[in-house]
Amino acid sequence: MRKIRELVYSADINRFRLYSQVVAFGLLMYGGYLAIDLGANLPTFACAFVGDGRGGTCYLYPLQHQLNMPLAQFIGGRGVAFLTGLITFVLFFMLFNKAWCGFACPLGTIQDWTTKLRSRLGIRYSAYSERTFHGLIKIKYVLLVLLILLSLGMSNAVPGIGKLSEDFMTPYCMICPGRTVLPLFNGDIKQLVVDFSSKTKLTLTALGMAVTGTFFVGAFAKKRFFCLFCPMSALQYIFSKAGLLRLIKDGSKCTKCGNCSRVCDMGIREIADDVVSKNILQDDCMMCFKCVAACPEEKCLDVRFLGLPVFSSTEQGFFKRMEGKVKDEN
Amino acid sequence: MKIERVERIKKTTAVHLAMEAKEALKKITEDFPDNPDTMGYFYSLLHKFYIQGEMPNDCSEVIGTMCIQVPEELIYASGARPVRICSGSYVYDQTGAEFMHAKSCSLVKATLGMLNIKNMPFKDSLSAIVVATTCDQKKKAASMLEDIGYKTYVLEMPSIKDSEEARVYWQSSVKNFAAALEDMSGNRITKKGLSEAVMKANRARAEFRRFNNLRKGAHNLIYGKDAFVVANGYFFDKIEHWTDALAKLNAELEQREAKGVCVANKHAPRILFTGSPAIFPNLKLPLLIEQSGGVIVADEMCSSSRLLYDPISFDEGNLYDMIPAVADRYLKPCTCPCFVKNDDRKRKLKEMAKEFGVDGVVYQAFSGCNPYEMEHKAIAKMLETEGVPMLYIETDYSPEDTGQLSTRVEAFMESIKNRKRSKLQRGIS
Amino acid sequence: MSVKYFAGIDIGSTAIKIVLIDEAGNIVAHQTSPTGSQFHKNTLDSFHALLERTGTNKNNVAYITATGYGRKLFKEADEFVSEITANAAGARIIGKDCGTVRTIINIGGQDSKAIMLDDDGHVRNFAMNDKCAAGTGRFLEMTARNLGVKVDELGDLHLNAKGVPLTINSTCTVFAESEIISLLASGHEREEIIAGVQYSIAKRIVRLAKRIGIEDMVFFDGGPAMNKGLVAAMEDELLRNVIVPEIPQITTAIGAALIAKEAFLAEGGKVHA
Repeated sequence: MRKIRELVYSADINRFRLYSQVVAFGLLMYGGYLAIDLGANLPTFACAFVGDGRGGTCYLYPLQHQLNMPLAQFIGGRGVAFLTGLITFVLFFMLFNKAWCGFACPLGTIQDWTTKLRSRLGIRYSAYSERTFHGLIKIKYVLLVLLILLSLGMSNAVPGIGKLSEDFMTPYCMICPGRTVLPLFNGDIKQLVVDFSSKTKLTLTALGMAVTGTFFVGAFAKKRFFCLFCPMSALQYIFSKAGLLRLIKDGSKCTKCGNCSRVCDMGIREIADDVVSKNILQDDCMMCFKCVAACPEEKCLDVRFLGLPVFSSTEQGFFKRMEGKVKDEN
Repeated sequence: MKIERVERIKKTTAVHLAMEAKEALKKITEDFPDNPDTMGYFYSLLHKFYIQGEMPNDCSEVIGTMCIQVPEELIYASGARPVRICSGSYVYDQTGAEFMHAKSCSLVKATLGMLNIKNMPFKDSLSAIVVATTCDQKKKAASMLEDIGYKTYVLEMPSIKDSEEARVYWQSSVKNFAAALEDMSGNRITKKGLSEAVMKANRARAEFRRFNNLRKGAHNLIYGKDAFVVANGYFFDKIEHWTDALAKLNAELEQREAKGVCVANKHAPRILFTGSPAIFPNLKLPLLIEQSGGVIVADEMCSSSRLLYDPISFDEGNLYDMIPAVADRYLKPCTCPCFVKNDDRKRKLKEMAKEFGVDGVVYQAFSGCNPYEMEHKAIAKMLETEGVPMLYIETDYSPEDTGQLSTRVEAFMESIKNRKRSKLQRGIS
Repeated sequence: MSVKYFAGIDIGSTAIKIVLIDEAGNIVAHQTSPTGSQFHKNTLDSFHALLERTGTNKNNVAYITATGYGRKLFKEADEFVSEITANAAGARIIGKDCGTVRTIINIGGQDSKAIMLDDDGHVRNFAMNDKCAAGTGRFLEMTARNLGVKVDELGDLHLNAKGVPLTINSTCTVFAESEIISLLASGHEREEIIAGVQYSIAKRIVRLAKRIGIEDMVFFDGGPAMNKGLVAAMEDELLRNVIVPEIPQITTAIGAALIAKEAFLAEGGKVHA
């Protein structure tokens, strides 16, 4: 048992993650062709706009549809559908917690590929200053609130404004780079258009195109650029305390060397600087566990599923991975 | 005439240094039984460096470093060999005292004393000295070195390490240092060169950690004085040779562990040594502790664990990522008391006391070393709440206070033994 | 089986103190003699004289523990222990009747120390002034010599001082000496000078003790504790009463003897009581 554990803890988690991402990408983007359907409440960007190929659907899509109903109906049958949707989403999410982002999200995977390309080209990445970072992380909550309010606004009149136009249908999807980018992998370029049919649609789709452009430029310059603004991530974080998969930190073992924070694609500083919290999962964490792999302290960072050890930082693992890394580089 | 005088000073000091080193080495090797065979390499390192006055293992270009914040990897990547020039010699302390004020600390006095005489084994290959702006005395030492005539590079360091501003400042400071090294050596620091340097240093650290782990067990496999000798060897030895030798020592210790051989009985007080660095030949206090029946099982000092503990990790193997990674390693986990806030040192000591099963802490502060002297109260308070007794000793390189110190050290060891005994009795009854 | 005795020998810079205890831990005899220049010989002579005086057979002394600066030179001892541990062991037992001793202040011939004890009576922390003669017995000797009085008389003279004690500014013995001489020259009463000197010593030692913290009960021993004036000054500076044992010089030797007995038992020795 100890031997197995040693082997796992010394493993190159990044490679494992790469495999997982490829498998998830295939499943979510092409699983449909094999009649795979994981349902419509997935806590990851399995985009609804990907045609027959998709193996499941991103929860934000049905959520926006379900919210588009009069408040009074929430206690009726449609409310039950909403609740079942939410519960399914939460159950799916709890299983892997934020690891959905790090190990499965196709949009995340595309960003990681972009990063790899940039690194190969030897082009320097950018990072936010601490202050900018803390300002930017609020945006995804704003997006989430907008997503909810706009959807509700189509069926519920706001005094003085009235109901919103149905053109606001799935407002977030309209600006999400998932809608424009992911179908491309199925050879579908239909989403890469600006819809001139109404002012609202024009604005939303134009914004969507702009976001798509920014998505690629941003992802090239900055690791996991888009994830900082992802409303899915915001929605997930609300439930992440209940996640079965956990990232635990033993602050007494931490030397604050900053290895974890420096390798973090999201640029989370608390992972290094917070030596008090046990549950160290931050709202922008995508549970890629690069931090755990970069930590040289024995059991300082610890990944647990239902309390059982899954992966942990070890001295031995650290040095082995670093040796491997330098060999790869040269 | 003047040249003759200088030559005479060099000759006389060399004799005194050799005498001092010989006496210290004799105590280290002869006063204790069961020294591991593979320690021989490290004893001979010191013998060669201090007594014969030669550099061990070939070396071409040397960059002298003062303070552990000077990034070694960059120096290796530029093709030079870093040599830590902080001196532990009383002889040099006295020569330094001739031109430095009485309240300066022994370490700085000795180091400047040594550099002023210019008779170090690496004198001919020394191309520059890098001084990090740590404590006030080191800062002023930098300008004094320039006056003596050394090519001196001042590595600017913030006094605070937690803030974003400090980190950014330090990152750019290290980047400038890398550029300066390229200018000095005429070699470019390449991606390959730096990643190999990182690996080389990481291997040494991995081996040192293995060594420390072996000292965690209840069986006392090796004395702390030997651990200090090992770490002191790192100051000037070729890093690959040093790492290999330590690997051999570790293997021998593992054998000892398997056979149940130990250097002191399991009731011997286990001591954590911290504070001003113990650098050969000044191992006065560590030797007193172990001669009084204690065993130093761990240390939190810039001449040993703090120097060798933290490894480097980088994400992308490009210079733009590796240089900041190197920089971070030398600032963020550093527990040097020159920083304004130093809670990390408290946390580190607390954790070490627990991990190494420590019975007591000995805190050495060199007279005149303000940062360590001032920080001792806070450390004492923390240890008090943890229930770990601490002995604070203010001393310097002079052997004159050995008699008085031995009384204190012995009393401390006795108090630990009594404490252990009554704990044991309470456990029985 | 004959009765066993245990000896504690405290070889200090000024005096050699020897205490003999019996199996029950009672003090059988004690002896104080000057250290002189031949540590080893004088100690041995004194030890033999004590045995002779009490008619004890050397073979009945089961265990000898030596302490004090000169301890390592007395090779006949079975065990060496530092004066700090011995002092703590002695004070704990002697002070028992008055309460739990938490702080010990000891002034010796060439050093002074403050020791803090934990709940079990073990040494928790200590501070020493061992680098110069200021605040030690040597300082008192110098004062007495300059004023032309005996060291034993200092206490009464201090208590007889009528006016305000004079301030002695120098802590260094050498400078204090010239300060005292100039005070004498300007016509000051020697009682007031003595009181001033003793206050300066007390102040210095209390400052030392404050470094480790002072808790009740405070036990004050060492030769200078026989000096009533100094005790009064100490109590003033400490803002509390102190316990002074009947024979303040021999606490450390008693402690050493008790440690000898414990060590004897720990090594498997047997006693009747």
